[in-house]
Amino acid sequence: MAAIARRPPRRRTELGLIILAVILTGGLYTLAGEGKSGSLPANIVPFLIVIFVLLVVAHIGMRFLAPDADPVLLPIAGLLNGIGYVFIARLVKHDAALQAVWTAIGVAAFLVTLAVVRRGRDLQRYRYSFGLLGVGLLLLPLVPGIGEDINGARLYIHLGPVNFEPAEAAKILLAIFFASIMVERAELLRTGTRRIGRFLVLDPKYLAPILLAWGFSLLILTAENDLGSSFLFFALFIAMLFVATGRYYYVGLGTVLFATGAVFALKFIGHAQSRVQAWINPWPHYNTNGYQIIQGWFAIAAGGVFGDGPGQGTPQQIPEAPTDFIFAVIAEEIGLVGATAVLIGILLMVGTGLRIALRAERPFEKLLATGLSLILGIQTFVIVAGVTRLIPLTGITLPFVSYGGSSLVTNYVLLALLLRLSHDTNSATAELVEAVAA
Amino acid sequence: MNPQIRLVGVGLIVLFVGLFAQLNYLQVFHASALDAKPQNSRRIIKEYDSPRGNIVSADGTLLAYSKPVNSNFKYQRVYPQGSLFGQITGFFSFTYGSDGAEKTYDRVLTGATSQFNLPTSLKGLENELANSNKAQNIILTLSTKLQTVAAKALGNRVGSVVALDPKTGAILAMYSSPTFDPNLLSSTSQAQATQNYQSLVHAPGNPLSSGAYRNRFPPGSTFKMLTASAVYDRDPSLATKNYPVSSGLPLPDTKGQTLNNFAGERCGGQLLEDFTVSCNSAFGAIGLDLGAQNLAAEARAFGFDQTPPLDLPAVAQSYFPPASSFAQNPPALAKSAIGQENVAATPLEMALVAGGLANGGAIMVPHILARVTNSQNQVVSTFQPSTWLNATSGQTAAQMATLMQSVVYSANGTGVAVQIPGIRVAGKTGTAQTGTGTIDAWFASFAPVSNPTIAVGVLVENQPAGNQYQGGTIAAPIAKAMLEADLSGGGTAPAGGAPAGATTTTTAPRL
Repeated sequence: MAAIARRPPRRRTELGLIILAVILTGGLYTLAGEGKSGSLPANIVPFLIVIFVLLVVAHIGMRFLAPDADPVLLPIAGLLNGIGYVFIARLVKHDAALQAVWTAIGVAAFLVTLAVVRRGRDLQRYRYSFGLLGVGLLLLPLVPGIGEDINGARLYIHLGPVNFEPAEAAKILLAIFFASIMVERAELLRTGTRRIGRFLVLDPKYLAPILLAWGFSLLILTAENDLGSSFLFFALFIAMLFVATGRYYYVGLGTVLFATGAVFALKFIGHAQSRVQAWINPWPHYNTNGYQIIQGWFAIAAGGVFGDGPGQGTPQQIPEAPTDFIFAVIAEEIGLVGATAVLIGILLMVGTGLRIALRAERPFEKLLATGLSLILGIQTFVIVAGVTRLIPLTGITLPFVSYGGSSLVTNYVLLALLLRLSHDTNSATAELVEAVAA
Repeated sequence: MNPQIRLVGVGLIVLFVGLFAQLNYLQVFHASALDAKPQNSRRIIKEYDSPRGNIVSADGTLLAYSKPVNSNFKYQRVYPQGSLFGQITGFFSFTYGSDGAEKTYDRVLTGATSQFNLPTSLKGLENELANSNKAQNIILTLSTKLQTVAAKALGNRVGSVVALDPKTGAILAMYSSPTFDPNLLSSTSQAQATQNYQSLVHAPGNPLSSGAYRNRFPPGSTFKMLTASAVYDRDPSLATKNYPVSSGLPLPDTKGQTLNNFAGERCGGQLLEDFTVSCNSAFGAIGLDLGAQNLAAEARAFGFDQTPPLDLPAVAQSYFPPASSFAQNPPALAKSAIGQENVAATPLEMALVAGGLANGGAIMVPHILARVTNSQNQVVSTFQPSTWLNATSGQTAAQMATLMQSVVYSANGTGVAVQIPGIRVAGKTGTAQTGTGTIDAWFASFAPVSNPTIAVGVLVENQPAGNQYQGGTIAAPIAKAMLEADLSGGGTAPAGGAPAGATTTTTAPRL
């Protein structure tokens, strides 16, 4: 009996779900080929074999490296990756080939991460290295000679033939850094108030970190024009601070600082101004900064409830369709139903991540799992809300779905870390059960 | 830490609920508004990427179909009959939108109106999947034979021919010259289409716009059908009043102006005689006797100042001035009674007037659509004829038929040229002054009188003024050709074999 309790069939579930994800992806790929050219895609068999092999390799790695980890994260990631691939292939064949290579690199990075990080808490040891590295990566595009301006934002660096978006990798490193520092200082941060008369105010000493993070976000914003990353880091920082301390005044302070930053950005940063203009009312700016958002809307509206069918829409009209606007393409071709499914898939991953956080035993693991899950959740919200014009548009990728190597590889590493934390908790629980049974 | 983690989770769910709400708003509630935005070229691109249904004539001739091509778009619209039906089919152009039947029946041709039936069996599901082409075909009431006869009879003269079935309102032929070849505008090369469009727009006579139902002209003596009908309907005593024989009617309130008879002829007498020889002086006097109210009311009863409900875009109204406008201007009333001054009519309207008189006084809704079929050539819907206007009584219509036969069969009738052996024809000529030294020749007629199957309106523009009633010498022979073509049979009946794969094979009831 104890043996059954000790090793629940998590990996078998995972394999079953992977097969399901491959079938879904293969079906979608077939339909997209039929829809676009009226014939089966020529490479359907090798395509199915490749995605199946990649996911099964990741799965086998899991059997050895993290056998007790959660079984749904990897298949959902694989499914989202597959759906993204199908739509990228449907838009730009060349990008799809690259995305396939990046998927393979992502899976390799996933396995390497699991192999290197044997225990989640080990990460805490290198917190300052991670912190420095994260900050360094974020500032890297500013270094003359290797930074590159793309679409008005300075986000990329090029190393030889490869363009790389360092902010992507930085988000994980900084999440680890935030988690370990905040856990360490949680007590201080929690009680860092002073009573002045009848009011509790934050001790200036403890105000420093939040002001630092804010200033840093603003720096990225002004120097690199990267609205998306800037907001992601600040929101992540505030949310993690709240989780670590349970103090609402950090949320309040964060909101005030964010508002101040936003006003500043609106006044002084042309990039931000044009985005907000296009958000408030894109129609007068149809031929300029409103064009993309309006084309995205047209695509989404054209999709309706069930979509035009994979391969049967006209998403070529949307600028940046494979990256920032991949969600609009999905909404056009598989409709409200398909777009909702993609969002639910990401929500499931976020929920699973937060459940891992809830069940983790040590504060660091809890906070790190929360931070990693929040990255997925916030990033998805920021881009989808931007594309649907719920909030001003900021260029950021849809995790696992958008075209983009650095984003994909980073997300696989993030996934590996979440699974590592999940395994830690589950195997500890299993050992406990075993001990009790013995 | 767990309560905070849960709170953060709830916060994210709230954000995602916002996403779902916005997505529902965009894709369900606001979708059609966005689809209809003028900046949204998605719909038209989609239309170009999917086949439209065929347009087919009543006898099964293919008039328009979508040909698969390898270019920017997946299909090109092809019009095998070219300019013969150009103004009926209209065109379907990426740059210039659409016109004609392509425009009126756009939603049918694209399949937007086709209904999805939930399959109830495996076979049904298979059919539904195989039949992914929702485009529907439209079968028109026009006959290739009559349309060809009209085009040949007009030749390269500028003018219009409208033939319709008086009992149903079905348009049997509607041709006007100059016309255009819609293939010129459906070219997949936008540069080519633009160039062609520009030259068509600047071509004399505006070939893109059908003169048959979009242009109006002084109807001349054909309007005497309405004046005579007004006599029977509103003041029958005038039918037997003897009008003096003269060469012209002195107009009231003018300093000796007269309304002259054609070529200075002397005519007069009772209504039958006046109508037979188309006596201007007598009809001018009749108009003055009837009064503006009666004449305007009669014109309106026959469809003047109203848009005929023809199923084509931008149908012009025919015009008769309001009765009040004649109060200070009796000479205008006399001139209006003979279809001059400001009276203006489309050839379609004059065909409808003849049709109404042929059909016991009821003008049927004019239409070019016979029925709609799906891609399996099954009839989806059939046009149901209905009455547009009850213009006059059956009794008046019968009396008018007598007058109009007299035009054709009296020795001194102006329309003898339309006589066809063995068939009774009714008609009225018109020779309208256009004020430019030329005349417009008109003829309106129907046949056979005992059981009319066709009514025809003919207009030939800008003919040199001669010493004869040119309505009778120029327009009447064209009307005769149309009547003969129809009455010799086969004019509107569906032909036996339809071209493979392109047209309907369904035999539908004659409308």
